Amino acid sequence: MPENNKTIEYDALIIGGGIAGGEAALNLANVGYKVLIVEKDLSIGGKMILLSKVFPTLDCSACITTPKVSEIMRHPNITVFTSTQASNIIKKDDGTFEATITKQPRYVIAEDCTGCQLCEQACPVSVDDQFQYNLVGRKAAYIPFSIASPRIAAIDIANCTLCGACERACPTKCIDFTQTVETYSLKAKTVIIATGFQLFDPTLIPRYGYGKFKNVITAMQMERQLAPTRPFNTILRPSDGKMPDNIAYILCTGSRDKTVGNPICSQVCCMYSTKQAQLLMGALPMADITLYYLNIRAFGKGFNEFYAQAQAMGVQFTKGKVAKITEKENGNLLLRYEDINGGGVVKETEHDMVVLSVGILPNQGIAELFSNDELVLDPYNYIGQSDFLASPAQTSIKGVFVAGVASGPMDIPDSILSAGSASSDAANYIRHLNKKTVSV
Amino acid sequence: MKHKIGVYICHCGGNISDYVDVKRVAEEMAKIEGVEISVDTIFACADSSQKQIANDIKEKGIDGIVVASCSPKLHYPTFSSVAEHAGLNKYNYVHANIREQCSWAHSDNKPKATEKAIQIVKAAIARVKESEALETIEVDSQKIIAVIGAGVAGMRAADELADLGIKVYLIEREFFVGGRIAQLDYLCSTTETGKELVTRLYEKIMDNPNITLFTGAEVIEKKGSIGNFNLKVKITPRYIKNKCKKDELLKAIEVCPVEVLDEFNFGITKRKAIYKNFPSEYPQIPTIDSKNCTRCGECEKVCSSIDFSQKEEVLDLSVGSILVATGFDPYTPKENEFGWGIDNVVTLPQFRRIINMCDDKLVYNGKKIKHIAYIYCVGSRQVDGENKYCSRYCCTATLYTSILTKNKYKDVQSYHFTRGIRTYGKQEIVYDKSSRQGDIFLQSYEDEPPMIEQKKGKTIVKINDILTNKMELEVEADLVVLVTGIEPRKDTNISEVLKIPKGRDKFYNEIHMKLRPVETVIDGVTIAGACQGPKNIMESMNSALSAAAKSYSIVNKGKLNLPPIIAVVNKETCTWCNKCLDACPYDAISKISENGKDIAFVNESVCKGCGMCLPVCESDSLELLGYTNHEIENMIKALVD
Ligand SMILES: Cc1cc2nc3c(=O)[nH]c(=O)nc-3n(C[C@H](O)[C@H](O)[C@H](O)COP(=O)(O)OP(=O)(O)OC[C@H]3O[C@@H](n4cnc5c(N)ncnc54)[C@H](O)[C@@H]3O)c2cc1C
Ligand SMILES: Cc1cc2nc3c(=O)[nH]c(=O)nc-3n(C[C@H](O)[C@H](O)[C@H](O)COP(=O)(O)OP(=O)(O)OC[C@H]3O[C@@H](n4cnc5c(N)ncnc54)[C@H](O)[C@@H]3O)c2cc1C
Ligand code: SF4
Ligand code: SF4
Repeated sequence: MPENNKTIEYDALIIGGGIAGGEAALNLANVGYKVLIVEKDLSIGGKMILLSKVFPTLDCSACITTPKVSEIMRHPNITVFTSTQASNIIKKDDGTFEATITKQPRYVIAEDCTGCQLCEQACPVSVDDQFQYNLVGRKAAYIPFSIASPRIAAIDIANCTLCGACERACPTKCIDFTQTVETYSLKAKTVIIATGFQLFDPTLIPRYGYGKFKNVITAMQMERQLAPTRPFNTILRPSDGKMPDNIAYILCTGSRDKTVGNPICSQVCCMYSTKQAQLLMGALPMADITLYYLNIRAFGKGFNEFYAQAQAMGVQFTKGKVAKITEKENGNLLLRYEDINGGGVVKETEHDMVVLSVGILPNQGIAELFSNDELVLDPYNYIGQSDFLASPAQTSIKGVFVAGVASGPMDIPDSILSAGSASSDAANYIRHLNKKTVSV
Repeated sequence: MKHKIGVYICHCGGNISDYVDVKRVAEEMAKIEGVEISVDTIFACADSSQKQIANDIKEKGIDGIVVASCSPKLHYPTFSSVAEHAGLNKYNYVHANIREQCSWAHSDNKPKATEKAIQIVKAAIARVKESEALETIEVDSQKIIAVIGAGVAGMRAADELADLGIKVYLIEREFFVGGRIAQLDYLCSTTETGKELVTRLYEKIMDNPNITLFTGAEVIEKKGSIGNFNLKVKITPRYIKNKCKKDELLKAIEVCPVEVLDEFNFGITKRKAIYKNFPSEYPQIPTIDSKNCTRCGECEKVCSSIDFSQKEEVLDLSVGSILVATGFDPYTPKENEFGWGIDNVVTLPQFRRIINMCDDKLVYNGKKIKHIAYIYCVGSRQVDGENKYCSRYCCTATLYTSILTKNKYKDVQSYHFTRGIRTYGKQEIVYDKSSRQGDIFLQSYEDEPPMIEQKKGKTIVKINDILTNKMELEVEADLVVLVTGIEPRKDTNISEVLKIPKGRDKFYNEIHMKLRPVETVIDGVTIAGACQGPKNIMESMNSALSAAAKSYSIVNKGKLNLPPIIAVVNKETCTWCNKCLDACPYDAISKISENGKDIAFVNESVCKGCGMCLPVCESDSLELLGYTNHEIENMIKALVD
C-alpha cells in the first residue's frame, strides 16, 4: 500500500472517468503526457458503460465502451484512481496546480482480487444495486457490475455488518478491513474537469407519481432493462413482473421547465427515448410504444433519419404535455394530456408502464474544489466556457479545461469531440508551461 | 513451430458459456499436441485474467497464445498488449471469435455451438503453431500538416497545431479567409461578431511563423500515405502585388467596368471583377476574378499594384497528415419551392446580409419590411427530397435572427412557420426569448407544408396550423425568409482527390460515429467542422481541435509504427506479370529490376495488408505476413482432420 500523504506528480489531472474524461486522458497519454484520472465511483466508464445500445447507430454500448476502458486501464501513461476525489486545487504562480487527492478504501487488496465473486455469494447483506438503478439488489461485498473496470470486489462499508463471511470465502485472502483513507499531494500542470451529469430526480414532479406508482420508472432504469448486462433478461414492470404491452414515455421530464429550475433542453432525451422505443419494439414485438413530446429534437448526424425509422416501425409520437398520472388498482396508469396534433383536446389514455425521460443536470460542488481561483459557472450551473466560440474547453481559470457534459448537455459523439478539444488545449498549455512561454 | 501454447477460453460472463460448453472446449484443446495450458476463464479481459496470461508467458515459457472470446475488434489490442508486456511477440497471439461467430449465432443449438467453438479454436491453434514473430515497420513521418479550408474550423486547427510546434500549410480555395462566418455579423449567444472572430483567428495565424497560408489554392493531386503524403497544389494568381498601394486599389475597383452578382452577398448585390468582399477582409488585398475580367486594362491605368504577368503555379508539398475542413454550402431552393422566385422571398443567409446592409430601416427592394414570415426546414428534413437530415444550426440561427431584427428595427413582427423547434440544449433560451418578444409560432402538419402565393401583388403564407387546433391561417408577409439548411459542398473535387468516403447524407464520413468522429478510413486524413455534418461554431471548433489532436498524434514523434501485416514478394519466382499492379487499391506495388530481372516491389509503408494482390498473382509469388500460405494451410488441415 502506498504510504499516506505521498507527493505524486503528473502532467494532467483529469477529474471524472466517464467517456469524456477517458477520451481526454487517452489523447494526452498518446502524445506522451502522464495523466492521473480520479474517479469518484468504483469503476470508470461513467454513464456510457451502463447504457444499452446507443443512438443513432444502435451499437452495443458495453461492446464499444469496454475496449476504450481497457485501453485506458492498460495505458502506460495513465494512472486511474477509483473511489477517489480531488479537492483544494490551488493554482500556483508558475501556472502549475496542486491538489489533495483522497482515496476511499475499498477494503479489498486490488492487486490480489481475481473477481471470482465468492465473497459476493458469501455475503448475507442485501441492498439496492445502484448500478442497476435500484431495479434489483446486490450484496455489501460486491463487484460493481460485470464489465466494471477495474473488475474487482469492494466492500460497501456503510451496509456491511462486519460478519466476516467474505473474508472466509475469499480464496486469495484479499479482503482487508484495516484499509484506511489514503491521501496524496498532487502536482500537475493542467486540470481537465469531466465530471459529467446527474439525472433529474422525478420525485420533484409529484403529479407523475414516481416513487409512489410502481410502474412509473426512469429512462435510466429502462436503459438497464435493455442492456446486455440487464438484470432480468427481459422487460418487466415492477409491480407484478408482467411483461408490459403498452408503454408510454414522457419526454422533457425535468427539462424545459422553469418550475423545477431547469429551463434548458437536455439534448439527449428525445433521442434516447426514440432509441429505447426501437429496442422495445424488438424485445416486445407485440407492445405499443407511445412518446408524449413537445418537440422531437432529432438534430444530429443521422438523428432525423433515426426518428423517421422509429415512426416507420410503428412507434407512436403524440405531441402533448402530460399533466397528470393516476394509478389504477391493477397497476396500470392513466395519463391525462392535451393532444395538440389531435386538435388540442384533453384526453386520457391508459398504459401499463410509464417511462420518464428524465433530463440531465450538472454535478454540484465542482467550483468548490478550487481554492484560490474562481471557477465560474454558467447560469445553469454547468462549468462556464470563457471563450466558447474559439476555445470551447477553456474555463475561467487558465490551465483548467472542461470536457463532456460537465459544460452542458450533449451526447456521446459531442462528448468525444469536446474531450478532443480539451485535451488539445491542455497539451498546448503544458507545452507552453514547459517552454515557459505561457501567460498564467 | 510453437510447442508451448497457452489457450484461454472465455465465458464472457454467460454470453458465451450459456450456449457453449467452454469447459469442454478447454479440455479438448488440452489434448492437442503442443498445447501446454488450456483453461477457461469468466472474463478473459478482466485484469486478473490478463495477469494470469502474462504470468503463464513469463513463468511457464509459453511461446504462443490463443484467446477464444468476443470479436477481435473489441479485444485484439488488449491481448496483444498483454503478450507484448509479458515479452511475447504480439504476432504469436491468435484470436478466436467464439461469441459473435458462434455462441450468439447458434443460441438455439447448444451442442452444435460447442462443436463449432472447438473447430474455431482448433484452427486458431494450428495457425499460432506456424506463426512468426514480426516487428512493426518504422517509417519517418513529416512533421508537417496540411489543413484544407480556412473557415473558422480550419483556421482554429491550424493555429492549434502551429502552437504545438507543427509546421502547417493552410490551403484556402477562395482568395479570402473565414468561410461562412465571414458572411455573418452578429453571432448567437455572444457579443463577438463573425468578423471579429475571423479577425482574431487571422491575426493569430499571421503571427505564427509555423503557418503558411495559401489563398486561391486547390489540392489537385495526392500521392503517398500516412506520414508521407505528397500533394500538388494549384495556386491561382491574385494579379495584384503583395505590397500594394491601398488608395490606388480603391480607384482600380471604382474604374473596373465589369459588374457581376456578388456571391458573398448571395447574389443580392453586385461587385466588380476586381473586388474585396468587405473593407476589412483578410488578407487585405483585393483580387481579380479572372473568369469575369475582360482584360480591358482600366485598372492598370490607375493602379501600379496590378500585375497581369502573375502565372498559375503548381506547388509540391510533403505532409504527414491532412486535416480537411472544407465546410458547407447553404441550400439553394428549387424554382417555386416555397415561393422561391417571388421577389420578396429570400433565404436566411441572404436575409442576414440584408440586415447587415440596412442600418436604421429594414428595407428590401425599396419596400419597408414589417411582417416577416420564416419558413423552416427548407432543404432539410425532406420527405420526398434527398436531404433527410436536420440541418441543426437553423432553428437557433433563425430565432436569433428574429431577436436581432427586433432589437435593430423595433417595429417588426415575426411569424415562424416551423416543423417543431429544435433549439437543443442551452439554445432553448433563445426560443424562450423570441417567444417573449411577441413572435408568433405556427406549425404545419408533416404532409401539409405551408403554401406561399401571390395575391394581388401581396405575398401570402397559408398554413393548416397544429398549434391552434388545425385552423387554416393566412399571414400577409412583406418578406418571406426561407430557412435554408446546410448542404455538403457541391464541388466534390477535393473528396475525389483524397478519396474520402461520404455517408448517406453526402457529408464526409467518419470511421465511427460515436467514438472516432474526426478520423476517416484513409489513414492520416482527418475531418473537421461542417464538412462532416451540420454544426454550429462551437461544435465546429470542438471537432477542429479534436482533429488537430489526432493529426498531431500522427506526426509529433516524426516516426510512425505501422503494422507488419503486408504483402511480400518472392523474388525468385516473380515473373512481373504485372497483375498485382492493377489489383492493389493503394498504389503500393511498383516494378523494379533486380539482377537483370523485372520483379514486383511492395512499398511497405503504403501496403495496408488487404491481400488483394495475392489471388491474382500468376506465379503465386506473393505472401501476406501474418497470414502466410503455410499458416492458412495448417488451419485447413486442422479443420479437416
Ligand atoms: C438514459 C440515457 C440514455 C442515453 N443514451 C445515449 C445514447 O444512446 N447515445 C448517446 O450518444 N448518448 C446517450 N446518452 C448521453 C450519454 O450518457 C452522455 O453523453 C455521456 O455519458 C457523457 O459522458 P461524460 O463523460 O461527459 O459524463 P458521465 O458519463 O456522467 O461521466 C462522468 C464521470 O465523472 C465522475 N465524477 C463526477 N463527479 C466527480 C468528482 N467530483 N470527482 C471524481 N469523479 C467525478 C462520475 O462518477 C462519472 O464516472 C444517454 C443518457 C441517458 C441519461
Ligand atoms: C445563416 C447562417 C447563420 C449562422 N449563424 C450561426 C451563429 O449565430 N452561431 C454559430 O455558432 N453558428 C452559426 N452558423 C453556422 C456556422 O456558419 C458554421 O458552424 C461554420 O461556418 C462552420 O465552419 P467551417 O469552417 O466548418 O466551414 P466554412 O465556414 O464553410 O469554411 C470552409 C472553408 O473551406 C474552404 N474550402 C471549401 N472547399 C475547399 C477546397 N476544395 N479547397 C480549399 N478550401 C476549400 C471554403 O472556401 C471556406 O473558406 C450559421 C450558419 C448560417 C448559414
Ligand atoms: S431532448 Fe427532447 S425530451 Fe429532452 S429536454 Fe430536449 S426536447 Fe425535451
Ligand atoms: S434545425 Fe430546425 S429549421 Fe433547421 S432543419 Fe432542423 S428543425 Fe428544420
